[in-house]
Amino acid sequence: MSEQSASAFNTVSVRTLIGVALRLLWRDWRGGELRLLLLAMIMAVTSVSGIALFTDRLERALLQESANMLAADRVLGAREQPPRELLSEAEQRGLSTAEYIAFASMVFSDQGNLLIAAKAVSDAYPLRGDLQVADEAFGVAYVADQGGPARGEVWVESRVLPSLDINIGDTVFLGDSEFTVSRVLVQEPDRQQGGMMENAGPRLLMHMDDVPATNVIQPGSRVTYRYLFAGEQSALEDYTTWVRNQFDGQYRLRDVRDESAEVSEALNRGESFLLLGSLFAVLLAGVAIALTARRYSERHFDYAAILKTLGCTSNQISIIYFCILLAVLLLAVIVGSIAGWGLHMLILNLLQSVIPISLPPASGLPFVVGALTALICLFAFALPPLLALKHTSPLRVLRKDLADAPLSTALPYVFGIAGGLVLVIWYSQDLLITAILVAAVSSVAVALSALSYLLLRSGTAAGMRAGSAWMLAMSAVRRRRRQSVLQVLVFSLTIMSLLTLGLLRTDLIADWQAQLPENTPNHFMMNIRSDQVAGMEDYLRDNDIQSNPFYPMMSAGLLRVNGETAPLPWDNDEEGNNASSSVTERSAESSQDDASDADAAENDGNRSGRVENRQVTYTAQLPPDNELVAGSWWGSDARPGEVSVELDYANRLRLELGDELVFRLGQQEVTVTVTSFRTVRWDNMQPNFFFIFSPGTLDSIGSTYLSTLLLQGEQKVLLNDLLRTYPTIVVLEVDALIEQIQTIIAQVSSAVELIAVLVLIAGALVLLSCVNATLDERFRENAILRTLGAGRKLIMTSLLIEFAFIGLLAGLIATLGAEISVYYLQVEVFQQEFFPHYWVWIVGPLAGTLIIASLGVNATRRVVSTSPLAVLRNLSA
Amino acid sequence: MTSMVEARHLCKRVTTSEGELVILSDINLSISAAETVAIVGASGSGKSTLLGLMAGLDSASSGDMLLDGQNLSTMDEEQRARLRGQSVGFVFQSFQLLPSLTALENVMLPIELKNDRNARQKAAQLLQRVGLEARVTHYPNQLSGGEQQRVAIARAFASQAKILFADEPTGNLDTTTGAKVIDLLFSLNKEYGTTLVLVTHDDRLAQRCGRLVRLVAGEITEDVVAGDAVHV
Ligand SMILES: Nc1ncnc2c1ncn2[C@@H]1O[C@H](COP(=O)(O)OP(=O)(O)O)[C@@H](O)[C@H]1O
Ligand SMILES: [Mg+2]
Repeated sequence: MSEQSASAFNTVSVRTLIGVALRLLWRDWRGGELRLLLLAMIMAVTSVSGIALFTDRLERALLQESANMLAADRVLGAREQPPRELLSEAEQRGLSTAEYIAFASMVFSDQGNLLIAAKAVSDAYPLRGDLQVADEAFGVAYVADQGGPARGEVWVESRVLPSLDINIGDTVFLGDSEFTVSRVLVQEPDRQQGGMMENAGPRLLMHMDDVPATNVIQPGSRVTYRYLFAGEQSALEDYTTWVRNQFDGQYRLRDVRDESAEVSEALNRGESFLLLGSLFAVLLAGVAIALTARRYSERHFDYAAILKTLGCTSNQISIIYFCILLAVLLLAVIVGSIAGWGLHMLILNLLQSVIPISLPPASGLPFVVGALTALICLFAFALPPLLALKHTSPLRVLRKDLADAPLSTALPYVFGIAGGLVLVIWYSQDLLITAILVAAVSSVAVALSALSYLLLRSGTAAGMRAGSAWMLAMSAVRRRRRQSVLQVLVFSLTIMSLLTLGLLRTDLIADWQAQLPENTPNHFMMNIRSDQVAGMEDYLRDNDIQSNPFYPMMSAGLLRVNGETAPLPWDNDEEGNNASSSVTERSAESSQDDASDADAAENDGNRSGRVENRQVTYTAQLPPDNELVAGSWWGSDARPGEVSVELDYANRLRLELGDELVFRLGQQEVTVTVTSFRTVRWDNMQPNFFFIFSPGTLDSIGSTYLSTLLLQGEQKVLLNDLLRTYPTIVVLEVDALIEQIQTIIAQVSSAVELIAVLVLIAGALVLLSCVNATLDERFRENAILRTLGAGRKLIMTSLLIEFAFIGLLAGLIATLGAEISVYYLQVEVFQQEFFPHYWVWIVGPLAGTLIIASLGVNATRRVVSTSPLAVLRNLSA
Repeated sequence: MTSMVEARHLCKRVTTSEGELVILSDINLSISAAETVAIVGASGSGKSTLLGLMAGLDSASSGDMLLDGQNLSTMDEEQRARLRGQSVGFVFQSFQLLPSLTALENVMLPIELKNDRNARQKAAQLLQRVGLEARVTHYPNQLSGGEQQRVAIARAFASQAKILFADEPTGNLDTTTGAKVIDLLFSLNKEYGTTLVLVTHDDRLAQRCGRLVRLVAGEITEDVVAGDAVHV
């Protein structure tokens, strides 16, 4: 044969090959062979793009919702007026801006006076969220149509009206100016931002341009300036960088995560869970594709051999199957993307009641993600087995026993695993979660292969005399040992994914519910003198308000540990200060600032001599939500001179039980011994302390008291009464904040629920395709058994036992894997405490047995109901 | 006349778990164009292995194998595949039709692979020739064994091969059906002037060939031209 004719044969046939490929594709589709592969691919694209679309929009919505807490996307705050350049530069970059000034002041009416927390806002305020107002005290709230009050007007909180004995339309005096009270302020989005100074007392909202005329702001007044920014994510990020560079770190833009530990934790965990959920969906889709592609290619070894005898070269076979895969990919991407869109619309519909905010439109990215997932899955999982077809020996047509050789090479697995890894890393962009996931999956896979291999090998162990169905089943499992191990592997990975997500979901939601249960106290009372405590307790009892413990509170600075100068706990970690955003610390922000300022001055700015002040308390009882992790609590017969330290803080200071600490409180130095470590829920919006001293230690030092109240709706008017009776106390209202957090958490919870369900469906599909993938052989085998005279019942029973056994094994291993990965995820990613789930050790294996057995038997019922002849004939060709 | 098939000192050995196994040892054989040869022997004697080597489906352990003047031992699988596509046709014991293609499409396949635009027409003619014009749109599993083998024969001749290899073409068929299929095979063979190499242990079938080669345990023990031995 000449070179010319050889190349002619080659080139001309490419078009023909595509034709052959398409025809094979069409036939395979009609014959049902491609359906499973296509279904798996469509499932992959649908679940990934659907979940990505949903999370994409939900994440934006959640960010938007939580941005409401700031009334902006980013906030910059300062004690002195920051340069105007900050605002003009932001506007030039297409960001919207607003500003306000917060200060405390007295306001007067003809009848009385009141200390209020004034907030003077620019026209654009708020950039995010709404101002809710009413036309009378405690009236029905509605959304203010535009911005804050006009010049010359003020809006005040409901309880200001009775307190000053005025009505809407009356005049009040602030500094040198007079204002008309035009509305009642019910809610402002960022009510809780800032420290005590901004929030002590009821709110008065005014226009910024009215501030100079009042002359209330004098050099030295405590004033907070805030600049607000909103706009596109990328523009915000660029601007943030600009600010950092331009002002050398003097100003920092903060977002909601910096401002609220509670929300940031809910958001972070929610996002991690959604990510994990979609990762599992991708993983399961990948497994489904791998399984079905393998089955498809197994069925095509004969095809490839026949095509080779007809003169197809290996390369031509590759072209044919490459075309088929490409067509499948295209089809899957198109159908899957449409279905993914539908899926996310369905989710949104289901969630309408919990996510009332209108969602921002989706970006195109989720579709790209879906298509790329399909592409990577296909190339990693489907291409290797299909390309193995190219190595099929044409001798297969003469010798059937050459059957399984090509697939036993490690290459497809290497491909699949590498592809899966790339996919997971690219998709998650989160190395921690990826590492845990990969470690969990691979260690389970290894442990499992070993275990199930051993178990299946010794399948005829003692006690198996239950009759021939049992023998038949066990010999079937052992005969297909390799396949059985693969099945157990796939089943356990699937069940493990589902259990892991299920357990995480349950624990996350339980945790969130425990964080802010209903009736969480929503007002902090501070600055209470010790001689006022008894009277206040009586007052609360008389008014039917449940009183909570009164904690003595004082500012203490740690000077020395075991005689050496105490290090600053957050020294090497500028972001590490998040724990101090607990309500207790935040509410005491201003006084603490004073203290540190003073320290800095004292020590001539020498940083190493600086002392960090913390709000501390003493109590006989361990506060609720605190848990002792080391040492012992002093109980009722406490001796003075002991201290209990919060665990993280202790770790940062490298404290150990028995260490001797010296604190400075006011002018005194106090020496105490560390007798216990505690964990604290920083996100529960309750008084929390790094240091708790034993009773008697600090008794001689004067302190004020801190307590909490639950006031709802109309009860809030009692605040006026309380404040009139005890004018020196400071009340911090966190009711709006708690409500906002509860809303966000409710939304994140439903998202979490939904993702869990979606992955469950994906898992079910994988189980199905795995059962299906083994059907061929069962068909054949059982047909032979039946021609040999085995009864229907015997075969059904043996199938039942076979699947139940595989299910039990898979369930057991899955449970082990799930508990291990939940442990690592909770400890490393979700920052939760891990408790073993004993019930899952029963539910897991049981569910595995039941599900696999019923799926398997249902799928193989056809095996026994078709005539053996039909089966044999269909498969022999 | 040039040889269509020529084996020189052909050996096939495989390594199994029990050690090396010699399947074929020192086979020397030359088949001329248009000859019809039956390879007979007991089951396991190496007939299929020899057929596979002659057709270039497998490569020999040692020795040379020439097909249509080309040395298969020096060719790689790609080149052998091309040679098969151009010169070789097959009929197998288990038919080996593609189950997802209809009878017509199965026959069209080799013609299409030669990039012939008249594939459909030629395939239809061939199916008519084997008496299956009513079955063109049927799938293999809708056809009886004899019918499937007839489709396979049509496919084998569709590529206009110079040489046809058949491995126990009647092995899966009953006697009467087998006889019909054989009649068809031989009459088409005559029509197309193809070289035919056929493996069988059916004596009557072997006797219809012009030459008989007997294998015993991987060695040729008998090689007779029909005219010399028995007259039919
Ligand atoms: N690849 C192989 N590996 C092991 N044994 C083989 C292989 N190919 C053929 N054999 C053995 O060689 C012998 C001849 O096989 P075969 O050519 O199929 O015989 P026949 O077609 O005459 O029945 C048989 O015993 C077979 O098991
Ligand atoms: Mg044979």
